[in-house]
Parts: sequence; C-alpha cells; structure tokens
Amino acid sequence: MITAARWDAIVIGAGVNGLVAAQYLARAGRRVLIVERRQEPDDALDIGWVPTPVIRELELERRGLRIEHADPWITAPLDNGGTLELWRDVGRTADAIRRWSPADAAAWPEFCARMHKLATVLARLYTAPPPDIESHNPLELARIAGLGLYVRRLGKQTIIDLARVLPMSIAELLDDWFESDALKGVLGAVGVWHLRQGPRSGGTAFNFLHHHAGNAAGVFRPMRSNLSTILLSTPGIEIRWGERARPIAGGVVLEPSGEELHARVVVSSADPRATFASLKADLDPEFVRAVDNIKCRGVVARGMVALDGPASFTTLAIAPSLDHLERAYDDAKHGRTSARPYIEAHATSNGLDVHVQYVAAPDAGLKDKVAAALNADPSQLTLETPHDLECAYGLTEGHLYHGELTLDQILFMRPVGGWSRYRTPLPGLYLCGAGTHPGGGIAGAAGRNAARAILKDAKRS
Amino acid sequence: MTAAYLARAGKKVLVLERRPRVGGAAVTEEIFPGFKFSMFSYVVSLLRPEIIRDLDLARHGLHILPLESTITPMENGDYLAAWGDHDETRRELYRHSPRDAEAYDEYGRLMHFMAQAVKPILSMVPPDPTSLAPSDLAGLLRLGKHFRGLGAERLHALVKLMTMSSADFLDEWFETDVLKATKSASGIIGTFLGPRSPGTAYVLLHHYMGELDGVFRAWGFAKGGTGAVSESIAAAARSFGAEIRCDAAVAKVHVNGRATGVVLENGDEIAARVVVSSLDPRRTFLELLDPTQLPSDFVADIKRFKFRGSSGKVNLALDSLPSFTCMPGIGRQHRGAFSISPSVDYIERAYDDAKYGAFSRRPYMDIVFPSMIDPGMAPPGKHVMSVFVQYAPYHLNGGWSDAKREAFGDAVVNTLEEFAPGFKSKILHRQVLTPADIERITGLSEGNIFAGELALHQLFFLRPAPGWAKFATPVRNYYQCGSGTHPGGGIMGASGRLAALRILKDGL
Repeated sequence: MITAARWDAIVIGAGVNGLVAAQYLARAGRRVLIVERRQEPDDALDIGWVPTPVIRELELERRGLRIEHADPWITAPLDNGGTLELWRDVGRTADAIRRWSPADAAAWPEFCARMHKLATVLARLYTAPPPDIESHNPLELARIAGLGLYVRRLGKQTIIDLARVLPMSIAELLDDWFESDALKGVLGAVGVWHLRQGPRSGGTAFNFLHHHAGNAAGVFRPMRSNLSTILLSTPGIEIRWGERARPIAGGVVLEPSGEELHARVVVSSADPRATFASLKADLDPEFVRAVDNIKCRGVVARGMVALDGPASFTTLAIAPSLDHLERAYDDAKHGRTSARPYIEAHATSNGLDVHVQYVAAPDAGLKDKVAAALNADPSQLTLETPHDLECAYGLTEGHLYHGELTLDQILFMRPVGGWSRYRTPLPGLYLCGAGTHPGGGIAGAAGRNAARAILKDAKRS
Repeated sequence: MTAAYLARAGKKVLVLERRPRVGGAAVTEEIFPGFKFSMFSYVVSLLRPEIIRDLDLARHGLHILPLESTITPMENGDYLAAWGDHDETRRELYRHSPRDAEAYDEYGRLMHFMAQAVKPILSMVPPDPTSLAPSDLAGLLRLGKHFRGLGAERLHALVKLMTMSSADFLDEWFETDVLKATKSASGIIGTFLGPRSPGTAYVLLHHYMGELDGVFRAWGFAKGGTGAVSESIAAAARSFGAEIRCDAAVAKVHVNGRATGVVLENGDEIAARVVVSSLDPRRTFLELLDPTQLPSDFVADIKRFKFRGSSGKVNLALDSLPSFTCMPGIGRQHRGAFSISPSVDYIERAYDDAKYGAFSRRPYMDIVFPSMIDPGMAPPGKHVMSVFVQYAPYHLNGGWSDAKREAFGDAVVNTLEEFAPGFKSKILHRQVLTPADIERITGLSEGNIFAGELALHQLFFLRPAPGWAKFATPVRNYYQCGSGTHPGGGIMGASGRLAALRILKDGL
C-alpha cells in the first residue's frame, strides 16, 4: 500500500554500499532516507578497492577521497627473528624475497604480472552487474560477447589462467610458483579471508584474486579509504541513527518503535538472509530455500588495539606458512576456534585494526592469545567475535561479507541464482549490500550497480 | 579400447603390454591359491553403453552382475541401508529422517538429470577456448547452447555441482549425517580432497553417471572379476584383427620429426605409422619421449599435472563371511557393499591425516564380497573380500616401506574389527596395496587410480594440458588415449573411443 510518502527511497544500513546507493539515488533527484542501527558513525577506514566509476561519478576526488596505500603493504615476522617485508615496488619486493629464496625472487615479477592480468578481468566484471548467462536480450548477449572478446585480447595465457587458476586452491597456485613458506603464508592468507575454508580448498585462488582486483601489480592486500566519511558528510541525505528497519510491503517498519515509513523503493544493504528473514511468508518456498542455503559462516573476529605510540609496521601478518593456515582451519572445520589463529594487524592513526581467523566457537583464551601475538596489553584489545557481530549488527552468522565468496556464490549466483541483479521477488525491494555481486571487499560497487538498476526500473514504469 | 576401435575400422593394430596380462588396473588375479581378486579396480559402472554396443562386448564374454545394496554401519550400532528396491530404501531413510526421505526422490531426479546433461560433454572432444579455429568456436557455441538449454534452475544446480564441496552440496538437501557421509564418500574417491573440500561435488556427479543396462547409478561386478572386462575388450579387438602382445614393455617412442615406432625394453624395434599411448600423461610424455622433443611450455604443464594417489586396496581371503554388529548374521547385505563412512566428520578426519602426510588411522572403506555374487572367485565355502581404502597418500611422510604397508593394513583391519567383531580371526590371507604398490605394478604415476586427479582445473580442455586435450600431442603421429585425457578415469573407455575416432579422422 502506498500512502503519501515523504521518501522516494529508504536505504537500510549506512555501510559503504548503502551510502553509495543513496548517493546515486539522491543525485538522480530522489528523496532518500537512510536508516542505520548503529548509534553513531565510526571513523574507521573502509577496506577495499573503490571502483573508478564510483570515484568519477560521485566526484569523490574533489570531495577529499583519500586512499591509503601502505608501503610496505605487509610485514611478516619470521621464525629466525627477522622479518619479510613486501613493498609496492615489484623490484624492491623481489630484493626482499631474495634474501630468503633467490628462486622465489626470480619468479615474483612474472607472478605479479600474471595475477594482475587476471584481477583486471575481475575488476571489469565488478563494475557492472553480473553477466546474465540465461538472458535472451540481444544487448546482454552483446555485452557477454564483448567480455569474451576483451578476455581474448588479453591473450591465450590469460584465458588458460582464468580456467585453471580460479577453481584452484591458493596452496596449489602458490606451490606452483614459490618455495618459501613465509611468502606463501602471507599470500595464502588472503585466499582464505572470510572463508570457512583452508588454503588447500578449491576456489581459494579466486578469493585471492578477488582481493587483488583494482590493486597495483604486486600488492595483495586491499586498499583502505575514507569513502564512508566523505559520503556521510554529504548534505541532503537524511540518516536516522540507532534504529533498525525491517522491510515490509511499501516501506519499512522501525524497531523497536513500530513506526512505519513508506517509500516506493526500499534498498537493503543488510545481508540477504537477514533482509528476507521476516518476509518468508510472502515469498516462493524455492526462493526461501535458496536464501536459507546461502553460506555465510562467519569465522573472522575483528578487533582494535589502542596504542600509545605509532606501530612499528603498516600491516603485520601472522601466517607463517600454508600449513599454519590449514591447521588453523582444521580446528574451525571441527567446530573449534583455531588453537593458533591467523592474525593480521593494520596500523591506524590511533592503534591497530585486527583480523583474527578462524573463530568458530567461544574461546575464553582467545583475547590473551591475540594480545600476546601482537605484544599488546590485553586490556587495550577489544575483540568482536562472529557471534558478537551477529548480536550487535544483525549480521547473519556474523559474516562480514554477507556470504562467503566461494565459486558457487559469485557472479550470477550471488546472492542466489536467478536473482543476482539487485532486484528481489518483492516489487520495490532491492538489495545493494556485500551479499550481492561483486561482494565484500569491494567498496561501493554493489551500491552503484543496485542504484542503477533501481533508476532503470523507474524509467521503465 | 582404442585398438578395438582402430581394428574395427580395418587398421592393422598391435597392442604392447608390459605386464603378463591385459587390463592395466582392471585385472583379475589369483593372488592366493583358489582365491581370485579384481586386484585394483573392482566395480563396473562407468563403461559407456555405446561402447558395450559398438564392440559387442556381451558376445565377447562381458557379463555384469548387479550390486544390490549399500550398508553403512554407524558408530552407535545402527546402520543406514540403500537397497536395490527403491521403496525399501525410502522406508529405511524415513526411519532416519522423514524430511530426507522426501528430499531423496527430488535429489535423485536432479542428479539423474544433471548426469544426463553432462553426458554429452563426456562424449565430446573438448573445444579449445583459446583457439580461433572455426571448429573450436563452433564447439564452444554448441557448449554454450547446451548449457543454456538446461534452463535456469538446472544451470544453477550445475554451477553448484561444479564448484561446491560434496558436504556443502548435500547439506542443502539432507539432514541425516550418515546419509551425507555415505553420499559424499563417492565424491572423494580417487581424489586428494575431503568431503568439505570444494570440487568434490563434481566427483559426486561423475560417479552418478554410471550406467548399467541403461539404468543410472547402478554398479556391478563383471563375472570373473574386472579382468573379464579387459579380456572381453581384448577379445573384441582380436576379433577385429588386432594383435596383442603381453610381456612387451615399451621403453621409448621413436621420433624423427614425427613418431615412427617404438623400441621395447628388450631392444626390439617396431615401426608403425601411428603410436598411441594409454599411459598417464607423465609417462606418455616425460618417459616415453625425450622432453627435448617437446615444447618447453608443454613439458612444464605436464610436470604440473597433479597425480597424488590417495587410495589403497586391501584384498582378503576369508575362511567365512564376517558378521557386522549393525546387522548381525550373514545375509543379503553381503551381496552388496559395506561403506565405512559413519559421519562426514569421520571421513574429514581421515582426510586430515592424509593432508599432513600420514595414512588415515581410521580410513574410509568401501567393501564388497565378490564371491557372494560370483562364487567362482573363491573355493567353495570360502570368500574373497575387497576393501577399497582411502586415504593412503602416495607421498607418505618418510616414504612407504614394508613395515608401513603392514601398519596401514593393520589400521584397515582393526577399524573393520570395530564394526564387525571377530572379523580378524576369519582372515586367511591378506594383500595390502598402497599407492606406491599401485604405481609399481600398474605403472600409474603416484598410484592415482584416475591417471591424474579429477580436479576442476584438470578437466575438459585442460586435461592433460591446455591446447592438447584432443588426443593429439605436440609430436605428429603420436596420440594419447588414457584416463589422463578427457573425460578421465573410472573404467569408462570413453577416452579410448574418442582417441580412436580422432586418429581415424586424422587419416590413419
């Protein structure tokens, strides 16, 4: 039921994708309201590549977008007390690796070039809606053909690599190229980010490349930016903090107040399972089944350490080998938190952002373990486990990416097959979060794609 | 297989076999006096029906006896049974979970359809997506059309099957752990993966393509053991005029711009217009040829091709049949298979051991009693028992030795004793085969039963190497026809047939 509405569109969630979607809608003249369950914005940086079209179309550079390029982008402590530092400059990294393995140093430039080419293909796929391979629309078929031609122009090796590498495990990929455990450990860690999989699981090579998309050759950690902060300071978009919105027909209902807000369009940046949780009765059982089957098994705890002074590194990775990662995963596989987790700490202006994987069950000793690994005072460490994240932010199973980035849950299969284009079976309800293509770790692409789908639909009706 | 097809087309064909008998890993041997075993490969299903027809294998002695059931003993003393009779299976499932009994039929329909959908791809020469040749482009287009023709829902299911782990895939359908475990077990056979490793759902489907007398998912024994399958194909080949020489190991392939013949280990030289290798890619290219005769990229690709054998086999001669705790006594259950796969975690733990270079302390096992179905396999009153075991990694920490082989055999027997107390006392003879033994006896590199892992990145146009998946090789007149080529292992014979067709097309 549509009553006289104050809003054309209500966006659920003021995360980076929600904010980007809201921007695009507002710029097209829509009256937009964002409802966010957090009480206030935090000033944490956003992790992930900000796709070029988003920067250009939202004039982000003019508005003060800062992209942080850490250099060295990773520091790994070694067993012998030394450290391995990898730099933005491919040659400098090769020099650093040479001290441990001349063979790996020799392979590094070629590895970087090949991976970068593959990531370029992904980056291109990520700045548009997923290809619709079932479509009979000549425009869409032409687009798919164009994509095919584009890949073809990148050369024979790229086609073979795409078919060969994407389904591989990151361990197999790295074993093909390198011998040094330390190097394979820090690279392999990205392959398992936010997955309940180990480095020997197929498809982790894809996850590795996913996080490389948009990055410079030779840099295998996503960049960080102040994107949210800029978007929050835009005038003209109203945000209601500290309220939870649940989609209903023709709008949303706020909780716990029960107030109903109406709008023709509701855009949810919440994860798909959370978005549809209260709508199951109105949906086709097959669709409900597909949504319930979305794998989003959160295994990452995130935390912060307050520090007195600056850290001695930009990003520190504690993942000394692929076996270390694999054993950490084995624990999670059998329902426990890793006895020796993979820990990564990123230095910020006032402390450390911490990523701990795999956290699969309550573990009283986890905090002390993480603090000890980082040489930090446990009282200065705050840690949010997947369970905490689910309770605090409504993230299904505490999965920060709203759905694992496994090969069966990407492109036209994300969030579920047949509904990958931001629309849902309920007219007027759209998805724009990390649970849609291209997924977590890419800042704002889903928001942009969703807003464009909404505006296209509006033009049609 | 290739020989039979080539001879059928009127070519003069000579088959050279290193061992004293044909069959490779599909052989029947009397290991202990009076006890005959399908030594390695032990069940038949994946043989393509068009091959059985084309070569008239039934006339050449192939007789397949169906395997009637699968029993999975559980750790709590209960069991899960799948019987030949569909209604009985449903009732049994209902006992474990009414929901799963409901889902079972729908699942069966989907898998049946998926297997149908993938079948044409198995019988197709894989097009090369990097090539601009009209035939490749047409092939790709046909492939695209084929997939789109499936319809959205089935296409999505296919994507899931191609990429997911069997455990995750089955989680979407069923809740009974022992059911998921037993089904996912077929997803790990011959792989170095666990049921929770992505990519295993495809192997699930691969095994669903078994087709016996037109019935999907039916497995059976060849009368006289698996060797009888090989013998019948050999008989067919001979009837078409092919000559088969055993005890004739090939040392090298002669290359002089193109393949011109072979030299045997005994020094004999044999000239031929075309040489076809059914060995795995590593032996076909890196042993029979001198790598300098091949492009270096290609050599690198073949070196990268993964084998990592993970399965062992234990062949036992029994004084009498064992009784399992879950279903005491001797009965019709012994005419089928016993699957030691009580839970997904059980198999996953077995895999964990192998991942770090040890054999599974409590392995997954697939057990059959061939003498129950084909009494000719054992002396009257006695029995043979075939135990397929996983995991036994080829690259065992410290390598395989006689002591480790026996320790592995003990792990198998001791685990079985838990499910069938008293079983150990019935063993008359025991033969334990590790991947190292399989490699030594059959020549399969690293003992991989599929002549190369069936991983997504080693299938279709990537099997065995990009650009060389169409049975030709970089050496003119030298062809490959083994399981290391598309569509891969299990005794399907499809590679052999496709290779023969290719060779004939090239104008032999």
